Amino acid sequence: MDTSREDVGIAIRSAFLRKGTQQRYSLFGLALLSVLLIFLETIETKPLNGIRSVIKDLVYRAAIVASYPTKVISTSYGVVERHFNLYSDYNNLIKENNELKNKISTSDFLELENTQLRKLINEQVASSSNLVSARVMLDKQSPYLNSFVINVGANKDIKNGMAVLDGKNFIGRIVDVNYFSSRILLITDLNSKIPVISEPSGSHAILSGHGTNPPTLQYLPKNHKIKEGDKIYTSGKEGIFAPGIIIGKTEFAKEEIEVSLFSDLNQITFVNVNLGEKSKD
Amino acid sequence: MSISTKNFWFRFIAALPILILFIISLNGSSIINIKFFSVNIHYILVYYWILRQPQSLGLGLIFLSGIISDVVLGFPLGVNALSLLMVAGVASYVRVVTVRITLVNDWISFIPALLFANFIYFISLYYSSYSIDYVYLLKNSVFTFIFYPVLWGGFSVISNLMRS
Repeated sequence: MDTSREDVGIAIRSAFLRKGTQQRYSLFGLALLSVLLIFLETIETKPLNGIRSVIKDLVYRAAIVASYPTKVISTSYGVVERHFNLYSDYNNLIKENNELKNKISTSDFLELENTQLRKLINEQVASSSNLVSARVMLDKQSPYLNSFVINVGANKDIKNGMAVLDGKNFIGRIVDVNYFSSRILLITDLNSKIPVISEPSGSHAILSGHGTNPPTLQYLPKNHKIKEGDKIYTSGKEGIFAPGIIIGKTEFAKEEIEVSLFSDLNQITFVNVNLGEKSKD
Repeated sequence: MSISTKNFWFRFIAALPILILFIISLNGSSIINIKFFSVNIHYILVYYWILRQPQSLGLGLIFLSGIISDVVLGFPLGVNALSLLMVAGVASYVRVVTVRITLVNDWISFIPALLFANFIYFISLYYSSYSIDYVYLLKNSVFTFIFYPVLWGGFSVISNLMRS
């Protein structure tokens, strides 16, 4: 019994502590270094943030080069697929175009009415948002983290928590800022919780991401009157995002209310980062 | 084949495991998702080469590849590096205690490697306040285990080429 225990001990020591043939570092030493790095990630100081920022910027640039062949292959595949779907897409677009033509007249009337009502209550209609455009550098969506890396960072005054839009649609928020790049946590990620409001029902809720599945509305009031197809906007309740940024529309699933996003997160090349309100000086 | 071409070919084959390791991490494709399949090829690669030919894959390079994966995928620095080192640790232990290595032995001993690595993954992300999809983690572990013999075959071809 003692001998077998000793054997296990010797084997573990040999595997973890000794440097193997042509190995420069011991496994134990490197594991300790990894634990130290994980611990250091929780510490926010200027020098550490600077080092992290430089490392991340360098790796992102190398990753762009390394992922170029796969990007070319997936783009070519997309082009071929679009060619095959040309006829069905054309028919769908004709149908959509006819529906939109019918809606335009109603929309014009509503816009006019809305402007008149705003005038009545003396509301400032002019938008004061301040947008910065950026290109998506990396869109490696890990199954555990749905995120993008964009090519602007602290050099363009990007800060953590800022809203990111695809056109006018909300798609996520900034969670990590380096000097030349930043990471966007997408609305579909498991860690994403956004305060939202539904229209026209007017119910407040939290939009929670679920990874590969569509995001759902949580913490709704018991007597909510949300219907299928209601529009979902940011509520601005947490004070970080501007209120009224469109996200998507509701779809009733089995027991939950899912939100179908207006932006296809797999097809995004450029995004706008909302820097917040412009200073009035 | 001239000597220089032969030399280049030999060096290329010898560097293939390292090349694959860094392409996987820089490409952010350590986990391959096809429909409901999800396989972690990073773990299989590290496990196979540390078990079979540890001289082909340095531990320092595995650590570096883990750090790159962390940056590309947006995890706290060190999480993937520690998981990969845990896989390498189990592989080193199995290499020390096993006399005859066969596919079945490799395959069965891969289970504790996966369990330890995913445990480390879970603990590190939990303490870094990241939410994880546990069902997905389990599914990924099961499919990585099932898929092991396929990549084992591919890596064995490279290994044989190196020897020849």
